[in-house]
Amino acid sequence: MSPAHDDSTGTSTMDADANTPSPSHEPVHMQTPALNEHMTPKPEAAEKIFELTDVSVRYSGKLAVKDVTVGIGTKQITALIGASGCGKSTLLRCLNRMNDLIPGATVDGSVKYRGQDLYASNVDPVQVRKRIGMVFQKPNPFPKSIYDNIAFGPRVLGMNKDRNLDEIVENALTRASLWDEVKDRLDESAIGMSGGQQQRLCIARTIATNPQVILMDEPCSALDPISTSRIEDLMNELKEQFTIVVVTHNMQQAARVSDMTAYFTVEVAEDDKRYGRLVEFAETETIFTNPSDQRTEDYVTGKVG
Amino acid sequence: MNAGKRNARDAALAGAAVEQSLAADHIPPASRKMLWRERIFKALLIVSLLVGMAVLAILVIDVLSDGLGTLNLSFLTSFPSAFPKNAGIESAITGSLWLMAICAFFVIPVGVAAAIYLEEFADRRRWWNRLIELNIQNLAAVPSIVYGILGLAYLVRGPLDLGRTVLAGGLTLGLLVLPVVVISSREALRAVPGSIREGAMGLGATRWQAIWYQVLPAAIPGISTGAILSLSRAIGETAPLIMVGAATFIAFNPTGLNSAFTALPLQIYNWLSSPQAEFKILAASAIIVLLMMLVAINSVAIIIRNRYEKKW
Repeated sequence: MSPAHDDSTGTSTMDADANTPSPSHEPVHMQTPALNEHMTPKPEAAEKIFELTDVSVRYSGKLAVKDVTVGIGTKQITALIGASGCGKSTLLRCLNRMNDLIPGATVDGSVKYRGQDLYASNVDPVQVRKRIGMVFQKPNPFPKSIYDNIAFGPRVLGMNKDRNLDEIVENALTRASLWDEVKDRLDESAIGMSGGQQQRLCIARTIATNPQVILMDEPCSALDPISTSRIEDLMNELKEQFTIVVVTHNMQQAARVSDMTAYFTVEVAEDDKRYGRLVEFAETETIFTNPSDQRTEDYVTGKVG
Repeated sequence: MNAGKRNARDAALAGAAVEQSLAADHIPPASRKMLWRERIFKALLIVSLLVGMAVLAILVIDVLSDGLGTLNLSFLTSFPSAFPKNAGIESAITGSLWLMAICAFFVIPVGVAAAIYLEEFADRRRWWNRLIELNIQNLAAVPSIVYGILGLAYLVRGPLDLGRTVLAGGLTLGLLVLPVVVISSREALRAVPGSIREGAMGLGATRWQAIWYQVLPAAIPGISTGAILSLSRAIGETAPLIMVGAATFIAFNPTGLNSAFTALPLQIYNWLSSPQAEFKILAASAIIVLLMMLVAINSVAIIIRNRYEKKW
């Protein structure tokens, strides 16, 4: 567990209530009424879909992020924030074994998805990614038609056997609020769309495979503010059905869309190597108004970073 | 201008430039020395280009002036003959086309598959994969006559014992251009951004599905450009075909894989070594045909490349 965690604040750690939905929180809050005066009532602690325990990731032996212990709630938006190099993207990519694609990447500790160890030897990463989809920093539509971009996932997963592919495509585009914009040009190349449309297409593409979780790695960092706000609206709608974990450099974005926020920092080891650590994980409201760690406060108030 | 004067002027210019650059509100004039240096450099580049162009132009003009007169339909549709006025290149053209087809049929699947392995699956930290890479680079530089000997020893005779057939010839040419196809296909695959692979696999596609449905289609323009250019190299090769024992006097078109054959470069070689001057003129005509075939093949490659140029 990170040394920054201090159970007495009642907000910083998820380890304590990892397996039991809510017991320890209320009494702890009572002990610190002054700190919690202005807070809105705490949302019911969500059931955990991911349980990470002491997760460390190394790239060819070089530590990237160390000893992260965190639980991620079902049908919540969890934001991972922190400066560059703090390991938040690395951690995100552990959640659907995307790090497997990087030669030399190793993951220690346990990553559990609905109680199942994702890194157990008998787990097929492809099966993991079917359930836990990913949207990337830079929109990466396939150089094909809009229709084929959406249809690719359902096709390779064999979903078109029991459902009409056209329906799946229309449904996914509608839910990504893209249908009205593209319904007349489904056979045009996705490369011709604007950046914001491309990113919504990538989200629609993920929705079409009907995953349980959508991981988003800085989904708006390449987009203008209007496209960004459309994607944020979309995330809020998708939350009804999906668990979303989002890495963002944009603190306002984390504050606007997320339910829970994890703040990561860069630590420097004695040998001058840099790696990321989790400083604080709590409700977004708490992180932004009343963080328990000084480093978090400095970051969210803009004193550093 | 003598050297001392020039140095003095340059020194003065340099000094002035330093002074002027210190004055932040004034952009110093361009140094003449630098301008001249740029002009000389550019002129050298143009001269180098002209050397290549001039050689090509001389060759083409020479060949055209020699061979255009005898280039007609009956030349294209006649078989070789002992009499220059009856001789033609039909069997050479069909032989070359057969060779190219066999070569393509063999080299494209094998070359692309090898490229996919090396680019998408091979772990470069393993020494054997690096060794394979190094060897393929080296093989691309092995002289074609060596491939001819290889074809003779292992395809025509030896284990495969195919005889002096068009199949043996085509496969030999295939071995010759295989490294080039592997290298150009790898470059085409590498040009497909990693984000496409990640995007596909992030949706739950297997590595193979990502490659087969997304990476390979995106790389096809590059792969076909490379493959077509290597076929155009194969069609112009003479030495390996001499080694594998292609006949130079074939008065029929290939009838199948086991048929004896000749090819355009061989026919040209044969006519050029003939003592009769008329045959040397026929060789020039055949060269025109060969050049036109090469231009046509390369144009296809250029059209494919321009048409599918990637826009990510």
